[in-house]
Amino acid sequence: MDNPDLQRHKDARVYHVGGALLVGMSILLIGLWYVQVVTALEYVENQETQSMRSVRVPAVRGAILDSQGRPLAKDRPNYVVNAYLEELRHHFRREWKESQSGAELTAEERANLEIAVRHRVVKRFTDQLGLSQSLDLSPREMQGHFRDQRALPLPVINDLTQTNVARFMENSWKIPGLELEVASRRIYPSQSVAHLTGYLRRDNTDDAGTLKFNYRLPDFKGALGLEKTYDHLLRGQPGTRVVEVNNLGYRQAESLPVAAQPGSNVVLTLDFEIQEAAMKALVETGAKAGAAVVVEVNSGDITAMVSMPVFDPNKFFPSISVTNWQAYRNAKPSPLPFRATQERYPPGSIFKIISGLAALENGMDPAKHIECRGAYYIGRRAIRDTAAPGMYDFNRAFKKSSNYYFIHQAVGEGHGFEHIIKMGQQFYLGQKTGLLPGQETAGQFPKLSDGENNWRDGDTANISIGQGPITVTPIQMALMTATVANGGTVYYPRLVDRIESQDSNEAALATRMPKGRIRGRLHARQKNLKVLQDAMYADVADDDGTGRRARIEGYGVCGKTGTAEVKTPGDPHKITWFASYAPYEAPKYAVVVMVERGISGGTTCAPVAKKIYEALKARDERTQIAGN
Amino acid sequence: MDFLSNLIPWQRLDRGLLFALAGLMAFGLLFVYSATYNNELFASASALRQPFVKQAIFYGAGITIAFFICLKDYNQLARWSYVFYWFNILMLTLVLIPGIGSIRYGARRWFDLGVTQFQPSEMAKVAFILAMAQFLSRPKGELSDFRVLLKGIGLAALPFGLILLEPDLGSSLMILPTGLAMMYVAGAPAGFVRKLIGGFVLIVGLALAYVFFVPNDWKPIQLPDYQKRRLMVYFDADYANHYTGPDATDAEIRRARAMQRQDSYNVVQAMISVGSGGLTGKGWKKGIQNTYGYLPRGVAHNDFIFSVIAEESGFVGSTIVVLLYGTIIVVGILTASRCRDRLGRIIATGVVTLLFCHVFVNIGMNIRMVPVTGLPLPLLSSGGSSVVCSLMALGLLQNVRLYQKTN
Repeated sequence: MDNPDLQRHKDARVYHVGGALLVGMSILLIGLWYVQVVTALEYVENQETQSMRSVRVPAVRGAILDSQGRPLAKDRPNYVVNAYLEELRHHFRREWKESQSGAELTAEERANLEIAVRHRVVKRFTDQLGLSQSLDLSPREMQGHFRDQRALPLPVINDLTQTNVARFMENSWKIPGLELEVASRRIYPSQSVAHLTGYLRRDNTDDAGTLKFNYRLPDFKGALGLEKTYDHLLRGQPGTRVVEVNNLGYRQAESLPVAAQPGSNVVLTLDFEIQEAAMKALVETGAKAGAAVVVEVNSGDITAMVSMPVFDPNKFFPSISVTNWQAYRNAKPSPLPFRATQERYPPGSIFKIISGLAALENGMDPAKHIECRGAYYIGRRAIRDTAAPGMYDFNRAFKKSSNYYFIHQAVGEGHGFEHIIKMGQQFYLGQKTGLLPGQETAGQFPKLSDGENNWRDGDTANISIGQGPITVTPIQMALMTATVANGGTVYYPRLVDRIESQDSNEAALATRMPKGRIRGRLHARQKNLKVLQDAMYADVADDDGTGRRARIEGYGVCGKTGTAEVKTPGDPHKITWFASYAPYEAPKYAVVVMVERGISGGTTCAPVAKKIYEALKARDERTQIAGN
Repeated sequence: MDFLSNLIPWQRLDRGLLFALAGLMAFGLLFVYSATYNNELFASASALRQPFVKQAIFYGAGITIAFFICLKDYNQLARWSYVFYWFNILMLTLVLIPGIGSIRYGARRWFDLGVTQFQPSEMAKVAFILAMAQFLSRPKGELSDFRVLLKGIGLAALPFGLILLEPDLGSSLMILPTGLAMMYVAGAPAGFVRKLIGGFVLIVGLALAYVFFVPNDWKPIQLPDYQKRRLMVYFDADYANHYTGPDATDAEIRRARAMQRQDSYNVVQAMISVGSGGLTGKGWKKGIQNTYGYLPRGVAHNDFIFSVIAEESGFVGSTIVVLLYGTIIVVGILTASRCRDRLGRIIATGVVTLLFCHVFVNIGMNIRMVPVTGLPLPLLSSGGSSVVCSLMALGLLQNVRLYQKTN
């Protein structure tokens, strides 16, 4: 028999062991508490880092529409065959096993074989689709995707045709891992608006101050024109897609915590029909470079604005090839500048609208006849006159574009430098209109202070006929003509009518740009403007007017031709103009046509204006009928 | 009916123990399923080969064996303990012989029985408890004799050495604290027990110092490289310092670091699993770590099953698991303390100590408290030998509970 004391002692030893074991279990619990509760967030983050990939998903870009809702730039669905690598894994593995020759491979050979195997599997499956388009990717490109973006589907055939989309639908059920998806592709239906819409460029910069993404789906930003100016509105807000990946980087699941917000549409005042007509008319001159601007005289709204030659903005998507870019860079004349706003030209005789109005305002009697001779002499310099010698009043001098008459008024009669400059300044010459940021030049116009330094009568003679230190843009001339036509109001030009949602249900929420913003008012008597308007009418309506080729029966076109000589050494040429508005009775449109290296304003440009007016007239008659 | 009711004294079955066992088995089935239901390794296997089905079968087999163990009083069973012990020593020896034992994960630990594999070290641990208890239950006075104690140490050293040779450091180490606790409870002199603990600590300390501070060239005996690397991972030692010389090139350092990342991968992923489970877990079958394969497919359902449980059921679930094991430990300690005879007391202590060691090391390695070793979590890890032998051991405990003479 053990004695009881000893028994208790032995019990104590059991409890010692039991106590030690329970302490051990408590340590485990404390450790678990620390890992799972106290520092759990750290592990949650680690897990997200290793198993979550965020993908920046660009929004559908807004369209650029003309006033009738016709697209000038839009996102078109681009049907893409995507390969889902995680579904093809098993096929890769099987193919890999089958292509083992039994020979021992070096690491490099192994890697190359893997690349070849994957490409072969995808190629075989895409071929099985029976499409007329086949795999777009080289093994190397595929490997790049596999290495860097394994969690994302691999686009294997781009831009499927409608027929191929149908074939895919028919055949794809029996082929694993391939899906048809819709991506966006920017298209520009017409090149006549190329300079206005501009083009896009790949954008890989990070959005400032926002979170970093693991991957970015290709995104674009406006690089020129309205695409650039309104980029922030067109582009919308990118969304975020979260892809969960397994330990090998293959996609397991996907969610879309932040949906992309589609960009807004930019609706222009432009009428695509008139734009096309203007472009066609310009091209039909046979000239290589030129521009035409159509402005509503009572609001400054741009109806059409074309520049020739053009580039193809589609060639810039997704990126322009070096060859194409070099071709554009080296072409003469260059298709890149927008000649309606971005290039400056001597105005030539269309400037007589300003020098004439300046003289009228200074008290010149338009009815008084001046005897014009063949040339005007200043010192020993003779300025030739294309108009025949004879007696000229204002109207005749204007329509026959007599240089002698206008030089005589400026130099001989004292309606000279100061008056012309002040008048020109009222038309904001030498200043940008602000219409197309980054695509506009101010032109040149002398200041009053220039008259103090070495200013000679010869210089005054030059500017009175639109030569010398004056250069202008077609948009400036169009606004000038509109001001004369509307009785003296200078409007800001307006190209964008409104910014609206792509969702037509939200049309009411559109942001409208104010119409008819007044930039200034001309200090000119209506009487004098009337004299000028009549002279412009006569220039076209009279058989001896230089602008007679713009005449349309029953539609009072008023105009002024101009032919400026550019005496570039070794390459003298002419800049030809026609500045006009119509109809005479109730002016609606101002049309300015400029052609580089034309024959003369009357011969080259007036017919272009005529065609544009015919298009405008036809359109208005059509809408009138529709309105009735 | 009489036959059945006379088989064992049913009314003395420990309800607490049964409850804890049932709870753990439920966890085991649920999470072995969760860990393997979308595992490619088993995708093409038949239903019977699915790990959770096998697990259920092994539970059944284990319970049956435990039931048979409970038919006879442990005093009678103990008479056969040395036979059982030497049989197991034979098995441990046979498994080392190439052609008989099969190799997995670089160690010769298994008998391939065709339908399943058998790991003799698991059963050897049970045999060791029984034999050691039988040996130590001699009159207490004899335990003061140093030669007797030395024999006891020999009884532990034999399976320890054989298992170490497989090599399976983790399993062999389990024998030491178990034997120690049994000796202590049996009434070995306190001074002797202290010396044993001291010696144990000294050996471990020396071994660590040997691994970390003795230059490789000077070492007469090399620890298996993977053991050394596991220790380095545990202590977060920089591989670059150990595997490269002082003027190592960048490429060499990069290689060493890459190896370190690879070696610590399991632990890092287990930590992420456990930690990201948070308080309440992600839900059954919803553990990212496991379903997406970050937790290696080969170990998620066995050695790292606790990671899966912790990730999917959170701190709440891990606490329940720990409490279920705690219940068994408490039952075992109470059984031991109530037991009037020393044999039952030593057996009960041995069983719960062995169980505790497995639980502590396995869960501990999931939260980096303990270096990684290939030890299963009793009853939860998928694996026939471990499940069956754990149930055998707990059957012994139940046996003591059934037939003990209480104070």
